[in-house]
Amino acid sequence: MTATTRMRRLAPIFLVAAFASMAGAAQAQKSGGSITVGQELDIPGFDPLKIGVFDTSAETAAAAIFDTLTYLDDKGEPQPKLAVSWTHSDDYKTWTYKLREGVKFQDGTPFNAQAVKENFDRQKDPANKCRCAFYIAFIHDVEATDDLTLVYHLNDPQVNLPALAAAPTSNNVVQSPTAWKTKGDDYNRNPVGTGPYILKSWTAGDRMVLEKNPDYWNKGHPYLDRIILKPLPDAQSRFASLQSGEADIVWDDEYDPDNIQKAQKDPKLTVHSYTGSGAQVYAFNTKTPPFDDVRVRQALVMAIDRKKMSQAITNGLAKPASNPYGEGSWVKCKDDGALPYDLDKAKALIKDYGKPVEFKMVVTATPRGRTIGQVFQQFWKQAGANMEIEQIDQATVVPRAFMRQFQLIPWRIIDLADPDPQMFANFHTGSPVALANYSNPELDHLLEHARVTADVAQRTEDYCAASRLINKEAIWFWTFQNTYYAISTARLKGLPKIHSGVIDVSNVWLE
Amino acid sequence: MLGFVARRLLYLLPVLLAVSLLTFLIASLLPGDLAYVILGDQATPDKVAALRHDMGLDQPIWWRYLGWLGHVLVGDFGRSFRTGQTVLQAVTERLPVSFELMLLAELGALIIGIPLAIACAVRAGSAFDRFVTGTAFSMLSVPAFLSAILLIYFFAVELRWLPATGYVPFSEDPLGNLRCFVLPALTLALGEWPVLMRVLRSDMIATLQEDYIAMARAKGLKPSRILLVHALKPSSLTLVTVTGINIGRLMGGTVIVESIFALPGIGRLLLGSIYTRDLIILQGVVLCVAAGYVLLNFIVDMLYAVLDPRIRHGHA
Repeated sequence: MTATTRMRRLAPIFLVAAFASMAGAAQAQKSGGSITVGQELDIPGFDPLKIGVFDTSAETAAAAIFDTLTYLDDKGEPQPKLAVSWTHSDDYKTWTYKLREGVKFQDGTPFNAQAVKENFDRQKDPANKCRCAFYIAFIHDVEATDDLTLVYHLNDPQVNLPALAAAPTSNNVVQSPTAWKTKGDDYNRNPVGTGPYILKSWTAGDRMVLEKNPDYWNKGHPYLDRIILKPLPDAQSRFASLQSGEADIVWDDEYDPDNIQKAQKDPKLTVHSYTGSGAQVYAFNTKTPPFDDVRVRQALVMAIDRKKMSQAITNGLAKPASNPYGEGSWVKCKDDGALPYDLDKAKALIKDYGKPVEFKMVVTATPRGRTIGQVFQQFWKQAGANMEIEQIDQATVVPRAFMRQFQLIPWRIIDLADPDPQMFANFHTGSPVALANYSNPELDHLLEHARVTADVAQRTEDYCAASRLINKEAIWFWTFQNTYYAISTARLKGLPKIHSGVIDVSNVWLE
Repeated sequence: MLGFVARRLLYLLPVLLAVSLLTFLIASLLPGDLAYVILGDQATPDKVAALRHDMGLDQPIWWRYLGWLGHVLVGDFGRSFRTGQTVLQAVTERLPVSFELMLLAELGALIIGIPLAIACAVRAGSAFDRFVTGTAFSMLSVPAFLSAILLIYFFAVELRWLPATGYVPFSEDPLGNLRCFVLPALTLALGEWPVLMRVLRSDMIATLQEDYIAMARAKGLKPSRILLVHALKPSSLTLVTVTGINIGRLMGGTVIVESIFALPGIGRLLLGSIYTRDLIILQGVVLCVAAGYVLLNFIVDMLYAVLDPRIRHGHA
């Protein structure tokens, strides 16, 4: 993407043709019918104050029950949804949205700027101690200047705010203020939005039934009469349910390669996959030996054969990552400075270090965590380093990271529309998740510059320079990109890209 | 008889008290708590401390336990911090599913196990007996997750006779409800019948050597009548005990089968509450399972009394 096209889309835009663009390509959409979606997890609920943030299963439901201000088109560009247009100030610290007129929540409450503001204020209020507040920390406040005008005042500049507003996360979906006020504790499992589907019934652990919203503001949408969401926790039986027709689309991931590869050969099934931004990553604690020496860190990174690793754990499906941005990101680097796989060099570096390299690596106490740990162990043994696997419970990985009680820890850079929030948090000096305990004025400067620059070419250069620096210093390393999978019957059409692994079925149809 | 019932029911109280205390202690020993789960990647020490304070998790454990117990005594089992569901809601929604699964599984196991046991006992040591006991032994070593997947593959994917996953409430569609329980119940029954079969077989072999059986034979009674009326009843004391204990075990031990077949039962609720450290729900589920276990044992005791008059009259 050139700088000029990017500038153009970030410039004030008024898209009247929103309906046409949302209808997608000129395929013959058919109304009617119902589908069953097989998900991985049980959904705990929808009230951000109760559950903090939505997981991918909850986001699939949220995309049907609620709307967001924008949505991402096939090119990843933000398009109007509940907002019809937006403008920004020159410093990207003030964004003004014009909202859609005549929209009502499913309980009849009118949708307006005040409703969006109340959603924001409720999450932002420190007294509510919501985990969701972290992700809106960069927004100072939201102002409703009139019924349909919403002004965001940011603490830090954000050039991609409309794109970040598209994902159906707990921060972005607009919930009915009347509903949460009147239902109290019961609101969590009785959500009300403006979206294309209305929650009809929900049996915990079994099924959530969503019925078409007859008063949906986007006339002619949605297509299906009914969506049934079911948690099918076991990967094998989830796939079997798809084969036998009990489910029409199921969530999957690359750790279930056999079924994905089987489905690719089956003409009755369609495999949807999307490689987003971000990666599976690992952070060295550079304040603890032996990782206070850059040679050791480089040696360990160079001893990892990602191709072989992908073959071993995902039958070759996992795509190696050489930087923290990934295929799905608009940051494309000619040179990201990735260290090559070079076992001899790794051995030489460790020899050069002179002392025995022995350390512990934290992995989650799951079969997957254990397997990954064992693969690393083998690679590093060949290079002359001894790693001991420390398995800990998923819930305690995060506190260990915050308290820096680790030598090497797994982490994740998730699929977001802009690299800034996570890059700044992960690598800027002093951030609570700058896990490497590493400080470098040059890196800080690159991150600060990238966040206030609008020019895409310039930002790309900043982020690629940051990648080169991080790769060279080997303070974090990346193994695989975030690739998301869904498998459906071939009759299901119109599924958008699986951003962040969220299967958004709110606008699909059956052929 | 009434005194016997009352005494048995009184046992329930100390058992439930001990179980709830133990669950509370063990769950508190797990690393991490609900605050960490809710805060996820935002679990900074100060936020965790604040949230723990809000949820009362910073109180000493005995104080929390007494607080919980106090509420339970007035009938308030609490509400999950995470989902907002009350424990009663969560448990009553899911209990019928697990209950049905366990009944059908045990029924299936008895239907397979009893006839085979009788047949083996009659021809103890024969080729048939050796074949059945051998099969039983190998079935015993097939884990549920394997037999479940094989059954799904065969009956749901290949033959398409039965659904692979899913659940329909009995009130909505009784036949559909039974259809979706066939494979899960069969999976469990395949692991259960060998135990029942072996227990009944050995008891039956012993019974058949009793004098009164020889007497019955001498009197010229029909062999089927001897087996089913004279031999089966006295041989089934151990079977009843084992069945009772197994049912209790199945009540909470169906986690794997419920996950594979996506049944919304209590096992999955239990597992979920452990993963998310949702102590309030966990306590509720464990209490419910424990109460069920004790009640089943009570029923087994009552059945003893029916099967063996000596117990009923206190001469055992």
